[in-house]
Amino acid sequence: MTVMEVEGVRLEGVRKRYGRRSSEVLVGIDLHLRPGRPVVLRGGNGSGKSTLLRIAAGASSPTAGRVVGRPRTVGYVPDRFPAQQRMPVGVYLRHLAAIHGAGPDAVREATELLAVLGFTAGAATPMLQLSKGNAQKVGLAQALTCGAGLVVLDEPWSGLDADASPALAARLDAMSAAGTVVLVADHTAHGPRLAGAQVYRVETGALRPEEPAPVADEITVIELAGDGDPRAAVRTLPPGAETRVVPGPGPASWRLRLRVPASEGDAVLAAAIARGATVLAVRREPVDRPVAAGRHAQEAHR
Amino acid sequence: MSAVAVSRFLLSDLYRSQRAIVPVVGQAVLLAVLFGGDPGPLPAPWAASALALYPIAAWLGIVVANTEDPVQRHVTVVSAGGVRRVVGGVLLLAVAGDVVLSALSVVWPMVTTHYPHPLSVLALGFGAHLACALTGTAVGLLCARPLIGNVGWSLLAAGTVVVVTGTQSRVPPVGTVVRAITQGGLPGSGTVVVTGVALGALLAVGAAAVSARVGARTD
Repeated sequence: MTVMEVEGVRLEGVRKRYGRRSSEVLVGIDLHLRPGRPVVLRGGNGSGKSTLLRIAAGASSPTAGRVVGRPRTVGYVPDRFPAQQRMPVGVYLRHLAAIHGAGPDAVREATELLAVLGFTAGAATPMLQLSKGNAQKVGLAQALTCGAGLVVLDEPWSGLDADASPALAARLDAMSAAGTVVLVADHTAHGPRLAGAQVYRVETGALRPEEPAPVADEITVIELAGDGDPRAAVRTLPPGAETRVVPGPGPASWRLRLRVPASEGDAVLAAAIARGATVLAVRREPVDRPVAAGRHAQEAHR
Repeated sequence: MSAVAVSRFLLSDLYRSQRAIVPVVGQAVLLAVLFGGDPGPLPAPWAASALALYPIAAWLGIVVANTEDPVQRHVTVVSAGGVRRVVGGVLLLAVAGDVVLSALSVVWPMVTTHYPHPLSVLALGFGAHLACALTGTAVGLLCARPLIGNVGWSLLAAGTVVVVTGTQSRVPPVGTVVRAITQGGLPGSGTVVVTGVALGALLAVGAAAVSARVGARTD
């Protein structure tokens, strides 16, 4: 894995406008990306996050300003990973490794990472037959195993299942600790929990620092069942909550698994019972990783 | 060599999507018809196949440049380390297609007709096809993504450019090369063809540069 120089990657006065008559998407971004300090961007749809990521990754040029110190090898996963090709997953990964300038080791590492992320299709499966989650995993595999000095991931946790999400976070922590510069856009709770994360909100094309979410050391997993609209049972959720809905046995019934910070578990549970949901199970789980993730994450990476 | 890796990636995708098959078969059908009867001594009959290769190469250029969807293009550009390497890969693959189709067009009458084909005549024929094909590639790259996003408009624009420039016998390189071949390889036609190949190559590289520049700015 390439170890970045200490100074990292710097965005200086980056502005972006699509076409002369349209308004500016980014209005002057200054951002210093350093190894060990993953930058997590939050913000609503159309706030300019994806544009900023494309410019940082080198997929797009800024209208003004510049990106300094971008390493030769960059791993990039766009918001919706494209899976239009008929080529099999294994062939795709081989080609992408070659384009990255990485050797056959990268392909083997990518295959291993796919297994860690719980990839359920085979290496011979054509890309266009992949589900959204599996396509996302292929995207992550090509980006995270090419020996990149900078990885830029646009909503990498979206579409990932509950088991793959902590595996991805552990991988990013390990890479960050090993010297890779990490930049992610993320609206889940995973990004801000990365070790050493700096969180920024992108609003109207500018950056505003934001406090990382408090790190919970335990989470409460609540499994509920009911009929009708599952959102009615859990109308408000604390920040950092994750939900997963699956259809229940009846025609309009559902089952819902919630993962909430332990401090919020009782309140969520009480509200759900008050709204008529049936409680199937409640349990405590330790959070995926301890806060001081450096050494631990490196071990996980090995 | 990221550009080579990119062109291999695009070829792998094109092979599976089979989008390049229609222009290639189109040229083969034209050769079959052209050299099926008695076309007359070489190189004059090659004027028709060289002229036909101009729109065929433009079509192929559009197909190659549009192989990736725009989001995959972003991934490839980042992976290759810049849009120039990706456009270089597109150009390499399109030019490889030009060389293959030019060679096919030259070899076809060698196999199917009994007319003599000395090396000088073969070189003239190959050069004429290559000049037209490279120019077609230039037109294709200028009429494809990222300059023209819609494939319908791409084909319309490329068709218009090809018809306007291909039918003027004084417009280099296609017009002048085709005229030189039609006249049966008079003295001086070698120079016209060599100049045509050089100009075609220059146009193709220039078109790739424009494509890369526009791609970096509009993405």
